[in-house]
Amino acid sequence: MNNSCRDCGQSGECRLPPGMLEQYDLGTPTADGLMIWLEVSRHAGVFLESSSLEILSKAREIYDGRIFGVVFGDIELKPLYAEAFSYGVDTLYHVKDRRLIDFHPEAYCESMKEIAERINPSIILMGATPRGRETAPRLAASLGAGLTADCTELSIEGTVLRMTRPAFGGSLMAEIVSNSVPQMATVRPGTFPLKKASGNTAGTVIYRQYGGNSFKTIIGSEKRYSDEKDITEAKILVSLGSGIRNREAICIAESVAKKLGGMVSCSRTLVDKGWFPQIKQVGQSGRNVSPEIYLAFGISGSIQHKAGIMTARKIIAINKDPDAPIKDIADEMIIGDAESILKELDRIL
Amino acid sequence: MDTLPWKHGGKMRFVVFVKQVPDTSAVCTDINGNLIREGVPSILNPYCESALNMACGVKKDGDVITAVSMGPPQAENALFRCLELGADEAFLLTDRAFAGADVHATVRTLSAFVKKFIPDYDLIFCGKQAADGDTAQVPAELAYMLGCGQFCYTQKLTLSGEWKAVQNYGSEVRECIIGKGDLLSVSDEEIGFRLPSAADYIRAAGIEIKKLNIADIGLDTFSVGLKGSKTKIVSATPSKVSRRGAVTDGSDPAKAAEHIRDAII
Ligand SMILES: Cc1cc2nc3c(=O)[nH]c(=O)nc-3n(C[C@H](O)[C@H](O)[C@H](O)COP(=O)(O)OP(=O)(O)OC[C@H]3O[C@@H](n4cnc5c(N)ncnc54)[C@H](O)[C@@H]3O)c2cc1C
Repeated sequence: MNNSCRDCGQSGECRLPPGMLEQYDLGTPTADGLMIWLEVSRHAGVFLESSSLEILSKAREIYDGRIFGVVFGDIELKPLYAEAFSYGVDTLYHVKDRRLIDFHPEAYCESMKEIAERINPSIILMGATPRGRETAPRLAASLGAGLTADCTELSIEGTVLRMTRPAFGGSLMAEIVSNSVPQMATVRPGTFPLKKASGNTAGTVIYRQYGGNSFKTIIGSEKRYSDEKDITEAKILVSLGSGIRNREAICIAESVAKKLGGMVSCSRTLVDKGWFPQIKQVGQSGRNVSPEIYLAFGISGSIQHKAGIMTARKIIAINKDPDAPIKDIADEMIIGDAESILKELDRIL
Repeated sequence: MDTLPWKHGGKMRFVVFVKQVPDTSAVCTDINGNLIREGVPSILNPYCESALNMACGVKKDGDVITAVSMGPPQAENALFRCLELGADEAFLLTDRAFAGADVHATVRTLSAFVKKFIPDYDLIFCGKQAADGDTAQVPAELAYMLGCGQFCYTQKLTLSGEWKAVQNYGSEVRECIIGKGDLLSVSDEEIGFRLPSAADYIRAAGIEIKKLNIADIGLDTFSVGLKGSKTKIVSATPSKVSRRGAVTDGSDPAKAAEHIRDAII
């Protein structure tokens, strides 16, 4: 009794009004397993993205069932198998095709749909990275699944995945459940700590081919990575906003960041001013960051900016205005002049 | 000389999906950090405005830009803004049954609209995300439902023999060829708050926004709104981020710097 169409006696496509199915939660009892798209980073080598490993770490903590990983690429991925297994993957689907080294969302989704139909997972997760956020909705639509974006907390109760995500710039936390299977979510990078599951580095690898033809015609591609890390990876961020008036302060901030082993980031206003490249921007239209410590110098804390820092472990704001909205989420508000405090900090470190 | 690849009947049809959102720069929070939404003005989602601007940028004489929004009757205002900015016609999908829609139900409504009213469109433009909701899921789900290719994070659209989109993934910027019927999700690199001219206002004032309800679109109540949704919000609580919120006087920079150093190390 798990197929609606048999239930309503129709052959072929079910004639129940869409939406009716979900009311009865059909299919839920048979779905089992958790499927994760393991994103591959191809900058300076081939790696599993830490966002994917973070999800695996969390999945192993809250889920006892089978975990299926999916990777796209050619033989260059072989060295990554061991890492995937050590983070708790039981079965790894490797969709092996040279052409899939490039990101083709349509082809990726078709493949993952086929795999999902085969294993019938109850949960599908991926990182809320730019590519994850592009892929997950297409896959969800193709599976007729509900999807919750950018979760910062996950828990499982029975067969139900409870997904928590920030709303309205982080001032509200919404808890969301899916009323159909698979239950799908993307997870904000940097939210969950990395934790290897075991010393185990072996597991099952299943090769698959992609039989479709949904490739984009990519006429040019430029990798934009610098020698520097991404601001999302920094443990400490020294972040500047428009309360900083002199451009020289950037050098001082760089120096402070270096002494602390961190990096410099900024609010959008300084990107607009041309002081920083866009990759340094924190916030809704920039990066979501989760450093241990976020030092906000002269940043007011607009909704868009707060959305990007709400998973930071500790926020210290330096602002001349005690009522600046960043106070709502700051652990420490220091009321004073941003530049002179920055200078002093550089001196004493 | 440009040869327009899929130009038919001498004109292109561009569809731009837009959303009305509360002006987040005007949203305040109360002492508990709860949002005060009353009295907050609504605006055209800035990301949708970029999408519309992109469509306007490639529009030639004879092409038609259709702006479409789903929302309450007041969402008309966002569509007026689209008309002022250069859209040629506007549809508002409005019905009580649409309320409470999650992404899935929203996309089902939007795709049913396209299939019924503009099946021969050439390109669809969406904003990357809504400034208030921030799920960024509608474009890619809609692309699947319409069976077309998706080009997310599009920053630039050009036509020289072929239509080409420049997509920015942060760590990679790439250029792809797009085909008839594809969907572009536009990121906001250059949110230009263009000011319409007096002539734009006059032109817009003469255009009627067409309103469509659930019956016009041909859907039933189970497919849309809250009932057609696949996800359910079970609770919404103010974030209980345990921030200490300690306030320190920093009028002496040296002391303040020491304080910060001690807090970090
Ligand atoms: C669709 C959309 C997306 C956006 N995305 C982002 C985003 O991703 N990231 C982002 O940051 N913004 C984003 N914004 C912009 C956002 O709304 C704000 O405009 C921006 O964050 C403000 O930056 P700020 O805090 O540096 O500047 P302001 O808001 O001008 O704040 C400056 C702060 O500095 C303080 N100050 C002034 N002088 C001093 C001094 N001498 N010493 C100490 N403090 C001082 C002031 O009290 C004030 O609090 C977006 C906006 C829109 C509409």
